[in-house]
Amino acid sequence: MKVNPKKVFKVFAFLKRNTTLLSHDEYRAGHVGYHCGQSRRLKNIRGYLVNIWSNTPFADRIGTDLYEQITRNEPRDFLDWWDGFPEVYFDNQKAWLNAVNAEPNRATADGLVADPDWSMADGPVLFDPVPDRPGEFKPCHLLMHEHILIPVERQEHKSFKLMQFFKHKPNISNDQVLADYATAASKLPGMNGCILNFRDPDQTAAMRGFYGDDTWGFSDEGIDHRARFCAMWDGAVEYHFSHSNDFVAARRTLHNELSNLESELFDSVWYVEVDENLIVMPNRNPAPNYYFR
Amino acid sequence: MLKVFGFVKRNPRLTHDEYRAGHVGYHNSFGRRLNNIRGYLLNVASNRRITDSLGADIVDQLTVNEPTAFDEQWDGWGQLMFDRMEDYVGARSPARDRAGPNGLETDTMVAKVGDDFNQLYAGSPFQFQVDEHIAMSVRRPEQKLFKLAQFVKRSASLETELFRAYLTGRYATLAATIPGLRGMIVNVRTNLDVMSEFFAEDAEGFTPEGIARREAFYSGWDALIEYWFDEPEQFSSARLSPGFEQLREFEAAFFAAAFYREVDETVAVLPKRDIPPPFYHR
Repeated sequence: MKVNPKKVFKVFAFLKRNTTLLSHDEYRAGHVGYHCGQSRRLKNIRGYLVNIWSNTPFADRIGTDLYEQITRNEPRDFLDWWDGFPEVYFDNQKAWLNAVNAEPNRATADGLVADPDWSMADGPVLFDPVPDRPGEFKPCHLLMHEHILIPVERQEHKSFKLMQFFKHKPNISNDQVLADYATAASKLPGMNGCILNFRDPDQTAAMRGFYGDDTWGFSDEGIDHRARFCAMWDGAVEYHFSHSNDFVAARRTLHNELSNLESELFDSVWYVEVDENLIVMPNRNPAPNYYFR
Repeated sequence: MLKVFGFVKRNPRLTHDEYRAGHVGYHNSFGRRLNNIRGYLLNVASNRRITDSLGADIVDQLTVNEPTAFDEQWDGWGQLMFDRMEDYVGARSPARDRAGPNGLETDTMVAKVGDDFNQLYAGSPFQFQVDEHIAMSVRRPEQKLFKLAQFVKRSASLETELFRAYLTGRYATLAATIPGLRGMIVNVRTNLDVMSEFFAEDAEGFTPEGIARREAFYSGWDALIEYWFDEPEQFSSARLSPGFEQLREFEAAFFAAAFYREVDETVAVLPKRDIPPPFYHR
């Protein structure tokens, strides 16, 4: 098992669509299309993926029998909380907080300039708006601490990406999950990558400084929203396979071992298949000294 | 797949690194939204000389008939992938991918790919289709790779069809065994017209000067081989080893020219070679 060699500032930003204006598939297009055309230019971004829950229920994908065997206490309304979550990588918190500073990346008659049209003002029409706060939407940005179990390699086709959310038992620590469960899960055969992420206990760690203190995210409602969402889970594992059948076959090879560990460690554990959109290939090497994505 | 390369020379008011930022930043942000695009890579000429990455000795040994002033003719090239010609020709149309107050709306700027051609480039791209052969499927890790472009020109005594057959045969098969290789694709330039319906009629590329500029560029090479490694030494050491001497024998027999460049690859849209899903995906 490998542990992250270089710490990155990694944020999962759970976002629910504007349900008044957009279907789930329309939200996909708006987020992955225009919005990411803007946000991929965040200053010094080092990686950017947008994960959108699959249109195919996980039980349908892998079969009801296996689904029931590997799922425990799944929150019934979990997918009502979000439609997608970007995962963004920065070198450190300072870089994350400076990301919205415009930098020159548009060629014009005056040479290279900061793009005057660069804007993420589509947020409230794309994401869940705050009714009494024009111009705001409801962000739920969470700082994650990752442990790379199997380094990710992407092939030139759409992969099968699975998020395994878990809430551990009160007497279980992250270190125990890392030592016992991660070690076992990393032995699943056929993976193209596997990353274990623990949610930072500070639920405002990725919000503070990125959004203003007077925004919805720091209101009583925003704090309560985030707390209720975070109460459902403590961490999530990203599994990358070529095909869902590969996951099914892999799980069967270690089913008893993993099931025993899940019973021992987790109060709840469940899965969400996501369609991963690669916006900026994560680059875990030192950044080059020129504009690079 | 339909795979189209477009070599571009930067606008002279931009430095090479300013061109990078403009192409990778603003321009790619529109290019990645082209309708039905299935893959989009941008390769920018590295700031590092090829002799510094591979080593002067090996470059000297492997280089044959490099065109004069080759690097003055381009700064980067984009690689566009589509399922069909109809998708490619229709890609430059407004995209319904922007949320607005009335729901999902159409953005006309995608049809213009940001409308920065004249500010970013000097003249039209040299745009052509390639017939690709995947010698080793690419697997990209989460790190910047060393990407090597090998430009080769067929020997005049060899028919075009035979050149492709030989190149993708034992040459590519042996080269694909270089230790540490993460991907290798052979691209043979074709004469299929992929410019007429993609660029405006009055584009520089259709003027006599533009055609002459493009033909001069094409005269130096016929195929471009993409290699991906973690480190340049993996290629250099393999090519110096006895196990790959047959590559040189092949080159001496069938190549009229061979030369190399390092490029910095941006994956604007990860190429997807499988059936597209029934929803917007990049």
